[in-house]
Amino acid sequence: MSVSANDNSTKVSVRGFLAKYSVLIAFAAIVVFFAVASPTFLTPANLFNVLVNNVVMLAIVALGLTIVISSGGIDLSVGVSVDVASMVFVMLLAGGYSGVAGVAGGLGAALIVGILNAILITRLNISPFLATLGVLFIGQSTQQLATSGGQPIYLTSGYASDQFNAIARTALFGVPTPVIVLIVLAIAVHVLLHRSVFGRYVQAMGAQPGVAWYSGIRVPRELSMVHVLCALLAGVTGILLSATVKSYVPLSGNAFLLDAIGATFIGTTLSRERKPSVVGTLLGVLLLAIVKNGLLLVGWNFYWQQVGIGVLVFLVLAASFGLRRAAH
Amino acid sequence: MSATALHPEVGVSDEKQAAAKSAGRRFGALVVRLGAIAAFAAIMAYFVIFAPGFTSTFNLINVVEQSAILGVLAYGMTAVIIGGGSDVTEGGIDLSIAANMGLCAAVYATLLSMGYGDLLSVLAAIAVGMAVGALNALAVVGLGILPLLATLAVLNVAAGMELTLTQNTVVGASSPLLGLLVSGSFLGISALAWALIVFSAIVIAVIHGTAFGLRLYAVGGHPEAARAAGLSVPFYVSFTYVLSGFCAAVASILTVSRLSASTPGSGELLLSVLAAALLGTVFSRRFVPTMGGTLLSVLFIGLLANGFQLLNVSSYWVNGVQGALILLVVAITSFARGSEGSR
Repeated sequence: MSVSANDNSTKVSVRGFLAKYSVLIAFAAIVVFFAVASPTFLTPANLFNVLVNNVVMLAIVALGLTIVISSGGIDLSVGVSVDVASMVFVMLLAGGYSGVAGVAGGLGAALIVGILNAILITRLNISPFLATLGVLFIGQSTQQLATSGGQPIYLTSGYASDQFNAIARTALFGVPTPVIVLIVLAIAVHVLLHRSVFGRYVQAMGAQPGVAWYSGIRVPRELSMVHVLCALLAGVTGILLSATVKSYVPLSGNAFLLDAIGATFIGTTLSRERKPSVVGTLLGVLLLAIVKNGLLLVGWNFYWQQVGIGVLVFLVLAASFGLRRAAH
Repeated sequence: MSATALHPEVGVSDEKQAAAKSAGRRFGALVVRLGAIAAFAAIMAYFVIFAPGFTSTFNLINVVEQSAILGVLAYGMTAVIIGGGSDVTEGGIDLSIAANMGLCAAVYATLLSMGYGDLLSVLAAIAVGMAVGALNALAVVGLGILPLLATLAVLNVAAGMELTLTQNTVVGASSPLLGLLVSGSFLGISALAWALIVFSAIVIAVIHGTAFGLRLYAVGGHPEAARAAGLSVPFYVSFTYVLSGFCAAVASILTVSRLSASTPGSGELLLSVLAAALLGTVFSRRFVPTMGGTLLSVLFIGLLANGFQLLNVSSYWVNGVQGALILLVVAITSFARGSEGSR
């Protein structure tokens, strides 16, 4: 492969370079564009706002999906994990339980979703797409039944509000707690996925499931772990979400699903084999967040933002896939 | 996990045993398939006995009417899955189909409210739907983007364009065509129900009754073999995405007629469309997506919602039961297929 004609290979490598770094190039171009178009874009206050409001929660969900997609699967039920964690957390606080109990209960609820997915996928041999689609439907019904058709629960004052503030409105060395949570989780998932034996197993299952099985990897066990971790990470987002908006709004978690899938796959364009990575995913999340924020600042309304994001994701994917195809 | 599929070296003495095994498995698959269908039948029988008015002609036609929109969309999705292969992460899938319907409905209703005639408005809606389908085809076939990703990006574009066009409001619409679809009837069956019947007949005839349809299955089932046999794989795959866009446009006209308006939130149909297309595989002998199977599962989903309504069960149960059924059917199916590579 590397022994090709010289004049040809330089052209190919330029294309390969463009394909590999198309996300980074797009990212830089977009930052420059918005910096010129809007004076407020590059101000610390705005960037801080983007980080806290648009990046943290989506990024944590996307970290979970990065693990699942690395293993060759998908989790369509991340929104349910976000929602049930949020629901149990808010209901426990409304019942007067402590913040710690609320967080534990919320994560426990997400854990149940993860275990359910794991059982369906590893014991009943259902493909991840269909298993998590089924769980998504069931999760939506469960929430509607538990909230008499989707009534939100607001806890904007009193005891619960203080507990929410303790999570969402505190800071360590000037860094808001949710951002610290993201940093810790991102480092943990990076180490787990790219520097640990478990990570090797996950990558192997994603690349060659049959070979992984024959190599003695306990595929069901590792795969169960993958889905439990993904659900738990989504649960963390659910708790941060409730603490930030001081309420539980049924069926709101689904909004993360498509963006998180998009961010993870944008991240895969960084690697030649199209493998998801934590760095790539975070870059994908940042790209989506900056475009949303930038379009808002230059005066596009909410509706046009969606068109803008769709077109942008399309162009990034087209550049990456198209150029790589041309390079081969 | 497909493990035994990777064992090519089956000894000669094992051949008989293997044949017996495969016959046994085939029998098992038959039992399972009949079992799944029997479960469907049992649910229907329960409704027939306990749900008041379930079997009345009026009610059944009502179900067919309600199923028309989901059905037309599910045909588009089924075509894409047939042509692209049924591997859900790498195979054919059109996530943009429901958003595309919303966009077409917005275009149709907006043009009507601006005073343009039915002909122009319908043509415009169909052109928009097929253009979105062509964009998907360009992304998947031309640029080689994974269908899941390409159609996800197009979903955002289509949904955003619908919002910019309608400003997230309800656009009321009325026209002779809509009037006909709402109140017209022939042989005692309403026009909306006829729309589903006729559309189903055409789609089933084309996909299951022509050489074209057979080639489409070949392209989806084994692209390399299809290419070696001289079929233009890109053409067939592109066709399915454009057809899917066309189906979205047809469904948009039905939905505007049903609601007398284009309304936001059509994207929510996506999951039901996927469920219908995937659930339909259980009605086929080799567990592949078929148009007939899709029709049956669409009607089944419609009857399920209707039966619950008649029994006064909260509609919040419908999604959950639908989800549980998908899991049940797929678990049984994968059990029946055993280790024959059902990953």
